[in-house]
Amino acid sequence: MKLNIEGLLVYFPYDYIYPEQYSYMLELKRTLDAKGHGVLEMPSGTGKTISLLSLIVAYQRAFPLEASKLIYCSRTVPEIEKVVEELRKLMEFYSKETGENNNFLALALSSRKNLCIHPEVSSLRFGKEVDGKCHSLTASYIRAQRHSNPNLAVCRFYEEFDAVGRQVPLPAGIYNLDDLKDFGRRKGWCPYYLARYSILHANIVVYSYHYLLDPKIADLVSKELAKKSVVVFDEAHNIDNVCIDSMSVNITRRMLDRCHNNVDTLQNTIHKIKETDAAKLKEEYRRLVEGLKEANVARETDIYLANPVLPDEILQEAVPGTIRTAEHFVGFLRRFLEYLKSRLRVQHVVQESAAQFLKDIFEKVCIDRKPLRFCSERLQSLLRTLEIADIADFSAVTLISNFATLVSTYSQGFTIIIEPFEDRTPTIANPVLHFSCMDPSIAIKPVFQRFQSVIITSGTLSPLDIYPRILDFRPVTIASFTMTLARTCLCPLIVGRGNDQVALSSKFETREDFAVIRNYGNLLLEMSAIVPDGIVAFFTSYVYMENIVASWYEQGILENIQRNKLIFIETQDAAETSMALEKYQEACENGRGAILLSVARGKVSEGIDFVHHFGRAVIMFGMPYVYTQSRILKARLEYLRDQFQIRENDFLTFDAMRHAAQCVGRVIRGKTDYGLMIFADKRYARADKRGKLPRWIQEHISDSSLNLTVDEAIQLSKHFLRQMAQPFRREDQLGLSLLTLKQLESEEMLQKITQIAHQT
Amino acid sequence: MDEESERAKRWEGGYERTWEVLKEDESGSLKATVEELLFQSKRKRVIVSHGQVRLGMMRHLFVVIDCSRSMEDQDLKPNRLTSTLKLMEAFIDEYFDQNPISQVGIITTKNKRAEKLTDLTGNPKKHIAALKKAVDTVCLGEPSLYNSLSLAIQTLKHMPGHTSREILIILSSLTTCDPSNIYEIIKTLKSLKIRVSVIGLSAEVRVCTVLTRETGGLYHVILDESHFKELLMLHIKPPPASSSSECSLIRMGFPQHTVASLTDQDAKPSFSMSHLDSSSGPGLSLGGYFCPQCHAKYTELPVECKVCGLTLVSAPHLARSFHHLFPLQPFVESSVEELQGNRFCQACQGELKDKNIFTCPSCHSVFCVECDLFVHDSLHCCPCCIHSQNTPL
Repeated sequence: MKLNIEGLLVYFPYDYIYPEQYSYMLELKRTLDAKGHGVLEMPSGTGKTISLLSLIVAYQRAFPLEASKLIYCSRTVPEIEKVVEELRKLMEFYSKETGENNNFLALALSSRKNLCIHPEVSSLRFGKEVDGKCHSLTASYIRAQRHSNPNLAVCRFYEEFDAVGRQVPLPAGIYNLDDLKDFGRRKGWCPYYLARYSILHANIVVYSYHYLLDPKIADLVSKELAKKSVVVFDEAHNIDNVCIDSMSVNITRRMLDRCHNNVDTLQNTIHKIKETDAAKLKEEYRRLVEGLKEANVARETDIYLANPVLPDEILQEAVPGTIRTAEHFVGFLRRFLEYLKSRLRVQHVVQESAAQFLKDIFEKVCIDRKPLRFCSERLQSLLRTLEIADIADFSAVTLISNFATLVSTYSQGFTIIIEPFEDRTPTIANPVLHFSCMDPSIAIKPVFQRFQSVIITSGTLSPLDIYPRILDFRPVTIASFTMTLARTCLCPLIVGRGNDQVALSSKFETREDFAVIRNYGNLLLEMSAIVPDGIVAFFTSYVYMENIVASWYEQGILENIQRNKLIFIETQDAAETSMALEKYQEACENGRGAILLSVARGKVSEGIDFVHHFGRAVIMFGMPYVYTQSRILKARLEYLRDQFQIRENDFLTFDAMRHAAQCVGRVIRGKTDYGLMIFADKRYARADKRGKLPRWIQEHISDSSLNLTVDEAIQLSKHFLRQMAQPFRREDQLGLSLLTLKQLESEEMLQKITQIAHQT
Repeated sequence: MDEESERAKRWEGGYERTWEVLKEDESGSLKATVEELLFQSKRKRVIVSHGQVRLGMMRHLFVVIDCSRSMEDQDLKPNRLTSTLKLMEAFIDEYFDQNPISQVGIITTKNKRAEKLTDLTGNPKKHIAALKKAVDTVCLGEPSLYNSLSLAIQTLKHMPGHTSREILIILSSLTTCDPSNIYEIIKTLKSLKIRVSVIGLSAEVRVCTVLTRETGGLYHVILDESHFKELLMLHIKPPPASSSSECSLIRMGFPQHTVASLTDQDAKPSFSMSHLDSSSGPGLSLGGYFCPQCHAKYTELPVECKVCGLTLVSAPHLARSFHHLFPLQPFVESSVEELQGNRFCQACQGELKDKNIFTCPSCHSVFCVECDLFVHDSLHCCPCCIHSQNTPL
């Protein structure tokens, strides 16, 4: 259907539209008009992706100069593929309606592992191996060597691409990863480099967060993207953690040992080269004197792990004399390593700021701040000069040099914590140096500064106002959308008491309380008897889950549950978990029924959807507060309080509630889906907690379901499940939660739609 | 009313939020909504008739009754099992009333096994006796869909192709314990054109959705006891025959009931063939239906002759199932204000008090809601139309 969104003609590839989709597009249009950033929350399963795509594509067509490019960031490869498929549908609709072939180029980009078509390289299992092998075939000096020695192995796909691929742009169309591979095979071009090259002139790019947020990757992939782009972060409820992770470094003793080996190798290579080709090192020295800003057009393949964000002025400067020659630099690295080693030899926890660290290192081993800043860049240069083919081996030393650069560049927003042992195993010495970023805005700042519009969207972003604060940006639109429903297909219940009136809570004091554990077991047992097919239960942590399950086993509760359903447990082992997940789905499929016990913040809670029968109920056992005794967290909380005036408790609650919302949101993946959401902790009933749930869940929590006993919850659930099992046809939705164009344009509906968006 | 008394005691029922449905009108009175509610409960949804569709009139139906642990649940009173069995008795009666030339068998499943309670027969008494006995069964373990389906298939697959082969499962449990992959047996059912319907007593189970969708059956979940009854009654009407089922002529015998007078010297009491295998029931009798082909004696119809295999029915039986093919058209619902003339129901002659009235589309007679239900559920013909056709000469 064709929509008119405040004067903009939008092609929407379906015959029906949800009211909230219309409302979402309205808000989005306003954001783009204002050339600002936006935070939009819309429940999952209400067609967020297609609304985004339709509106932005329409906007691009209407104002090609205002919004030249859409950069769509998603989290996982399957999600990327889904976006491309939606886009394909949209484009087909366009060409059908307008009759002309539009010159739209849209493509997905992923790592070499997903795009490589070289027969040997692509058969490798790990991303790192693929990257390393690819590098050893395509690095510029390898290719230069080949001129003198034609027997050297080379990737013919890259050669072919390099020879002709750049002249001929990728023909217009929609390319997902497989399409790119097919195209590459047909032409004999390397799909990865083709895609990386093509994103510069593509209209729409779909790729992972890291290509934009991780400074090491962003620098080489997304550096040249046009300023007038619209950037969308989908599923962005965890964006602050992604930012922080991309800037943090953890150093262990094992890593330092590997680093040592790296440095030894470097030294040997330097010796060898000195005997054979001393001129090369001299050449490098000359270049370093001139400055770091070098033409690296021909070297795009060389930069394997580029430097973290450096202020521009550093790049203009020359590398300081102390680390200019190769030997000096290696010696410098050695000193630095020894210093780190000595720091790891601690008996108690040390926490210090970057400035303190720099002062200490200067006093102890006389390392100045300036050479440290250039460490990462200098290492890259050395690796290039030494023509080391397999860079994957040098990840340890690269990491250390990145750390050196970061610690000397940023005085604010970072902290250094050295822990002699893990908290759980205080007897085993396992020293770790955490260089932890506390300010997510550092990593994302370039994105907000560079691009015209950045949209942050997800199904669970509540409370919305906290994101602009912790990411330090000023949005023009903040809106939350509700889900219009023809039948209330979600049933959030807060179970605060057991049948014996014992308060249910996972708070620290009652964690070991048998009465609570028994009541939790009772809740699961009773639910397993009345909920069909799949139940997903979330615990607050692995340790807590282990304790509870062990205790249930002793009390015989597990045995009783297993009469109703099979039990699967998520573990920290990814392979084990995916196996459990597969079997869980099988058991749901063939009617046996299953329970999946998993952990909030785990793999299951983030990436796995439990559509329809795979998840008829979610039970949250307790509130998923993050482990508050962690020193990194404490440091971060302190920083948030000092810098952003966010109280510790506010942030902790926000973090717990967004994870709880994420977990329970796993069951509702659309309007035809239905599911129970059971919050088994009396603390959820409190207004400050409840108020932080997304609006589309909050709306359905009635006052009478705030502090239920297990029995009451069972009664309500039974009733709900029976109601939901009644036939539900599309006609029931029409006009209420599903609209035709005609219904949409009626006055009354437009009136209603304005109420869907909830501005904060 | 009958249903009312069967209802659970208020304090035993679930939490009902009856006050939420009530809304005050402008004058602050609740009367209007209460009346509306009563009216709605009276007026059941008229089943949409298929028009002229071939129906599978000769039905072979297996009813699978779940007797697993979950049947002890007390949300139906006194418990699910007793309530189900009671409703099943009514179902069997009604079923044979409306489908006289069809047969039923009952299977129970519990403790991962399936057992035949009664074989496929056309004799309602046998089933009802078995159901009465089954009240005392102990419910334990899990049911097995696979085993019950395969047990039903064993018999149904030998039934002739022109009959409609059906399985109705009453499933209370939310889990099933199967020895093998159930999707295999769904394929088999599909290839044998056996229609499987499920009535769930607790919630929607995925495997049942697939099972019914693949085999073309219905899947419903009950809300309460009266809804359960309604859903059971849905299965009394013969399903439309699949277009691919074969057609064939069926030989049928129409025996007459002959009673030898007691004065007749030659009269000898004889055994009914149908009672030979069962020890109960009356033994010797004088009269009965005699098979026109082999003269075997039966006391009840319809039955398949044990000796020559001929289907024995009486003409009224056939006529009774006739109305399924030509259902009475639904009456037109309209507001009572639009009615001109007398405000009396044509059938009961009572005054029309409800807001809505029902008009027969062919003779334009007016009926009240009770009579409309009676006409459609029991009479299957409009009394006024009949009356006008048979005008006395």
